[in-house]
Amino acid sequence: MSRAMVELDFFRAEKYRSSSKSFDRRRSFRDLQSAISKMKPELLKSLIESGSSTPKQDPTPVPPLPLYSPTNPKSSSSSESAACSQTAPLTIFYNGTVSIFDVPKDKAENILKLAMENSGEDSSKSPVSSCERRRFIHNLASDLPMARTLSLQRFLEKRKERLIGAMPYGGSKAYAFRDWKN
Amino acid sequence: MEERNVKTNVPMPDVVLQCLMPYIHDPRDRASISLVCRRWNQIDAMTRKRVTIAMCYSTTPQRLRRRFRNLESLKLKGKPRAAMFNLIPEDWGGYVTPWVNEIAKSFDCLKAVHFRRMIVKDSDIELLARSRGQQLESLRLDKCCGFSSDGLFHIGRFCRRLKTLFIEESLLIYERDGEWLHELAMNNTALETLNFYQTDITRVRFEDLELMARNCRSLVSVKISDSEFLGLVNFFRTASMLEEFGGGSFNEEAERYNVVSFPPKICRLAIPYVEKDKISIVNPVASSLKKLDLLYSLLDTEDHCLLIQRCPNLEVLECRDVIGDRGLEVLAQCCRRLRRLRIERGADDQGMEDEEGLVSQRGLMALAQGCLELEYLAVYVSDITNLSLEYVGTYLKNLCDFRLVLLDREAVIRDLPLDNGVRALLRGCQKLIRFALYLRSGGLSDIGLKYVGQYSENVRWMLLGYVGQTDEGLLEFSKGCPSLQTLEMRACNFSERALAAAVMRLPSLRYLWVQGYGASTTGNDLLAMARPFWNIELIPPRQIVIDNQNGQEVVDEQPAHIIAYYSLAGPRTDFPATVRPLQPQHP
Repeated sequence: MSRAMVELDFFRAEKYRSSSKSFDRRRSFRDLQSAISKMKPELLKSLIESGSSTPKQDPTPVPPLPLYSPTNPKSSSSSESAACSQTAPLTIFYNGTVSIFDVPKDKAENILKLAMENSGEDSSKSPVSSCERRRFIHNLASDLPMARTLSLQRFLEKRKERLIGAMPYGGSKAYAFRDWKN
Repeated sequence: MEERNVKTNVPMPDVVLQCLMPYIHDPRDRASISLVCRRWNQIDAMTRKRVTIAMCYSTTPQRLRRRFRNLESLKLKGKPRAAMFNLIPEDWGGYVTPWVNEIAKSFDCLKAVHFRRMIVKDSDIELLARSRGQQLESLRLDKCCGFSSDGLFHIGRFCRRLKTLFIEESLLIYERDGEWLHELAMNNTALETLNFYQTDITRVRFEDLELMARNCRSLVSVKISDSEFLGLVNFFRTASMLEEFGGGSFNEEAERYNVVSFPPKICRLAIPYVEKDKISIVNPVASSLKKLDLLYSLLDTEDHCLLIQRCPNLEVLECRDVIGDRGLEVLAQCCRRLRRLRIERGADDQGMEDEEGLVSQRGLMALAQGCLELEYLAVYVSDITNLSLEYVGTYLKNLCDFRLVLLDREAVIRDLPLDNGVRALLRGCQKLIRFALYLRSGGLSDIGLKYVGQYSENVRWMLLGYVGQTDEGLLEFSKGCPSLQTLEMRACNFSERALAAAVMRLPSLRYLWVQGYGASTTGNDLLAMARPFWNIELIPPRQIVIDNQNGQEVVDEQPAHIIAYYSLAGPRTDFPATVRPLQPQHP
C-alpha cells in the first residue's frame, strides 16, 4: 500500500529559493510547531469537519494539479471511514517555513481547494467562506519573523563568541582600552 | 470715589504675557497657547525655549528659524523607530546637514542639540562645534550613524562648556584613535555626563578617563563601551561624585575583582557581561541602587533573584526575560518603589539562557500586585492570559506606557484572544499614553481591536502587531483613538483600502508606519488617503543578506513598508533608491 505524497508549493516559494544565495531551512521542532500553530485552529478544525462531511456538499470538484498524486485506487471504493483513516503526509512549503500534516485524501483536497480559491481571483462566492479565506491569507501572508533590537542582537552574537572561545580570554574586546594592565 | 469701568475686552498687556509665558513649559500647552491669536502666537514664538521635531521631514530648518528664533534646545528625530530593529535601509535619510547649517547661521541661543536616529557626518559635527561650541552645553547623537572619531575630536576641541556628551548606540564609520577623549579631557572642566555606551569604541585610554575625572568635578554619569573592568579601578577612585556608571566587561578570574570599589554616591549601574561569580562587586552599593541595567549581563534566574533582593530602593530595572516569573515575584516583594521595568527578549535558542528564563502571566500578576508605582512596563512574554492583563488594569493605575510582546516560543497559547484582558487593561490604566501590543495570529479578534480603539482615549503612540482579523477590525478601531498621533503596525495584513480609510478617520494621526500589509504592486489603493500636507512614502519589498543566529548568511525577505506623515515641507528631496514617494497623478 503506497503512501501518496501531496506536495503543494503555496505562493510559489520555489521561486524565492532558486533565486536566493542560500536558504536556511534548518528549523527546530519548535519552529515547525509554531508554523503549524499559526494556522488558525478554527480553520483547521473546520477543514477537518468539512473533510468528514459528505462530499456531495462540495459542488466543484478539485481539478487535478500536476503535483497531486491520487492515493491507492483501492481506498476510493472503500467506505468513508477507511478513506478517513488512510492518511498521507501533506508537506506545505510557505515563505521559508515547512509544515507537515498527516491528512486523509479528502481533507487534503479541501486544503488544496482553499489554496486555489485564495491564490486565484478574489471571488465572493459566499460571505462565510470569503471571511474564512481572508483569515487564512491573514495567517500565512503576514508571517513576519519578530525583529530584535540591534543592541540585543549584537550582545547575543558577542556572547556566543565568548562561549565558543573565539576571542582571547573569552572576551570580545579583551584588549580594548589600551594598556589597561599598564 | 473713582469709578472703575471694568471693560470685558481689555487686552492683557504684552509685557504681562511675556512674563507669564516662560513659566509654561509643557509643549502641548504651548501649542494651545500659540493658537489663541496672532499676538499670542508671536509671543510664544519669541519665548519658546525647547522644540522637539518628531519627524525631521515634517518641516524645514528655515521654518523653524522663522518661528522660533530664540530656541535653546532642539531635538530632532529622523529614521522611523523600526530602524532600531534593523528594518529600515541604512541610507533611508534623516540627514542633519541642513539643520546644522541653519543652526550655525541663525540659532544664537541654542545650548542643547539632540539628534536621534539620524545621519551625522564628521563635517556636520565640525560645523556645529566651530559655530556653536562656545555656547553648547549638551550634544546628543542618539542612535546616529555616519561619523567617525575625527568628528568627535572637534567636540573636544571647541566645546569647552559642554556638560553632556551622549553618543549611545551610535554606529561609527571609523575609529582612528582615542584622541577625541584626550582632547575633551584636556579642555573641558564642565562635563557632567559622558556616554559612549553600546558603541564599538575601543581605542580610548583609561588615563584619559581618569584625567577627565580629575578635571571635571561635576562628573556624575559615565557610560562607556566594552573594556576590562579592572582598568577602571583608578577611575572609580578619582570620580568621587559619580552617581551613574555603565559599561565594561569581565575577562579575568573572580578574585581579581575584589579591588573594584564603586564611588560612594553610585546609584545607577549598567554592567554588561557580568557573571554569577563577579556580581558580588555590586553588593556594597546594592541597597542604594535606584537604577539597574542587566540587559547585557550573563546572569541566570537565580542570580537575578539574589541580586534584586539586595536592591529595595530600585526604581528602574532593565533585563532580559531570563529574570523569569520567579524573578518578577521577588521584584514584587522587594522593590515596591519600582517605576520603570523593561524585560527584553533573550536568546531563542534555549540552550543559551536559563530554563527558568521565561516570563508569563504568573510573573505579570505578581508584579501588578506588588509594584503599584509602575509608570512604564515593557515586557516580552512567552505565555499570557486575559486575567493577567486585567490585573494590570486593576492595580497599575500609574501606568503611562505599556508594551507587551508575545513571543512564539510556546506553540499554543490557551487563553487567546486577549480581547477582554486588553479592554480591562485600557479601561483600568487611565493615564496610558503609549501602548504596544504585539501578538500572534488569533491574539486579538476584530472585536478586541475595536476595544482598543474605544478605550484608548489618551494614547498618543501605538504599536500593533498581529492584531485583528479582517479590515472590519481596523475600521472599527479607527472610529476611536481620539488622541492617537503615531501609529505603527506590523504583520496585521490589512488591505491598502482599509489602511487609507482608517487614516482618514483617525483625528489626531500625524505619523503612520506599516509593514506586513496587503501590499499591491502599485499601492494605488493607498491614494485614498492622499491629501494636502500628507506625505506618503513606500519602501518596496527588498531581499537583504543577513547573518542568522547560526552565523550563516541567509536571504531575508523584507516586505514593503508604508511611511506617511504630515509635512509643511512638501515631499522629500533626498530619497535614496530604496524609498519612493507615492503621489497621485495630477491631470
